Amino acid sequence: MSDTTSGTSVLPSGRSGDYVRWLSLLACVAVIIVLPFVFRDAYWRGILTICAINILLAIGLDFIFGYAGQLSLGHSAFSGIGAYVSTVLVTSFGFNFWVAFVCGVLGAGLAGVLLSAFAVRLKGHYLAIASLGFAVITYQILVNWISVTQGPLGIYGIPSPPSLSIPGLPEISFANQQMYFYLVASFALLTYIVLRNLISSPIGDALIAVREDEVSAASLGIYGTKWKVVAFGVGCSIAGMAGCFYASFIGTLVPDAFFITESFMILAMVVIGGRGNLWGAVLGAVLLTVVPELLRGIGDFRLIIYGLALTFVALFLPGGLSGVIIQAMRRMGLAVSGVKGDAHV
Amino acid sequence: MSDVLASRTAFGGVPARRLFDVRDIGKSFGGIHAVRSVSFELDEGIVFAIIGPNGAGKSTLLNLLSGNYQPDTGSLTFDGVDLAGMPAYRRARLGIARTFQKIRLFKHLTVLENVIAGFHIHRQVPIWEYVWPSRVSLADRRRWREEAQELLSFVRLSDRADAIAGSLAYGQQRMLEIARALATRPRLFMLDEPAAGLNNAEASFLLERLDILRQRRMTVILVEHNMDLVMNVADRIFVLETGQKLFTGTPAEVQRDPAVIAAYLGEELH
Repeated sequence: MSDTTSGTSVLPSGRSGDYVRWLSLLACVAVIIVLPFVFRDAYWRGILTICAINILLAIGLDFIFGYAGQLSLGHSAFSGIGAYVSTVLVTSFGFNFWVAFVCGVLGAGLAGVLLSAFAVRLKGHYLAIASLGFAVITYQILVNWISVTQGPLGIYGIPSPPSLSIPGLPEISFANQQMYFYLVASFALLTYIVLRNLISSPIGDALIAVREDEVSAASLGIYGTKWKVVAFGVGCSIAGMAGCFYASFIGTLVPDAFFITESFMILAMVVIGGRGNLWGAVLGAVLLTVVPELLRGIGDFRLIIYGLALTFVALFLPGGLSGVIIQAMRRMGLAVSGVKGDAHV
Repeated sequence: MSDVLASRTAFGGVPARRLFDVRDIGKSFGGIHAVRSVSFELDEGIVFAIIGPNGAGKSTLLNLLSGNYQPDTGSLTFDGVDLAGMPAYRRARLGIARTFQKIRLFKHLTVLENVIAGFHIHRQVPIWEYVWPSRVSLADRRRWREEAQELLSFVRLSDRADAIAGSLAYGQQRMLEIARALATRPRLFMLDEPAAGLNNAEASFLLERLDILRQRRMTVILVEHNMDLVMNVADRIFVLETGQKLFTGTPAEVQRDPAVIAAYLGEELH
């Protein structure tokens, strides 16, 4: 928080900015293409896809919590709504995957809008409790509405998305793990870009203004309630998208996948990565997906490690890992672009 | 500069128009009448100062006008629009801007970002233009950055554009809050004790800026303790005591009125 005049918050504008933007996009695409070739065994390729799904969950929650400042502990429920809506439509009603996908995304987004429209007057802890309550209720519905969800027995044999055939190219089957990773990673990348653009638009300005000081924002004509609902709608739709991909990737769907501990997991990704920073959320998602796999041997003790990591970050690194990185870059005199309104750096 | 400051203010040779009509408004907090049956009319282009001793209800009155509080009694009409029950954000859209006695900046954001947030209601580009970086969205961003720079130069903060707002000196924070409020292009600009905490140099800079706004015929409501500032810049003064009107008139009349001198100005005038 020291006095800084380095143009940190200034988005790159003009030609050089475009150049950087296109280069970083190309780099991301290259990384996505190469990853499955680096991780050749089926297990780690699966982890790659889970990484991409968790990135979707984390950036969606970061939009709500990091940018609009609304602490939601119900993120897993929205992912569950997306997963169950799309899966039930495919398995019970024979919908095309992509139609069901759109319904799942919209369903989760709508649920987010409804919850936030009622809960938006609540602040801080109260909103957190309301969203937690929503997650518990959603879980109970998934467990008990057996005629639709099969309850704790779960839904089995969920098909992969239909193959994609482009004339002149070999058919792309999403039953193939590598192709499925490309599919989810492309959606994650697109979602990231769209969110980043929204954040650097007047919408992002409004969200951040509401987060920083709602009374001040109102004095500038910014309607806090509306922007909180928008943030929930967008963030929860993305959670729904992640849920749809999760269901058709795993092939089975049980309510436990959307238990409230998953919400805390997603929150931990955002907080450890550094809230109010999209790439921080990506970093947190990757870390908290990969590290547990490396720690699989110690079983549920890893929950203790998350707890400790979360406490440590909350106490000593309020800007998360991305905050540490940004500060280090500033100290080295490197301008960091596009970090509008990172609250803690 | 003239568009930035006055594009929504009508002026020229036309006779002054009634902008704000305040009728009998009152507000109590748990049995304490903070504001009691206050009425005044405000013509366009007038600098209207509200003075009074501490605890007289000045800030409450301002909060009633801005919509941060809703009055228990009375009516407010702004340019023909009834403000009854209208929340602050909608009054801001009608053109009522304000600053706060206790500075409320977005203190983690940069100086420039604070001002750009003030342009919110004027940024009309459709949402989908922003979803993908387009020529429109880039041009829009550039345009508002330039406008923000203009406002920053008005309050002499151009060289601090990329500083974090919370890191500014106190007086600079006051000026930034003024620039941010001006970004909404107000038709009525309300300042709550803008000179509080300023040193002499800063206070005279504030006076000079307010004078420019007055010359541009911006309608201003000024709640202030600094009598130098008030007497120099106000066209009309409203004296509030224990939530009620004590006197209203020109600065010269106020300075002559025995009741006002007794209640408030006394020692400062002698």
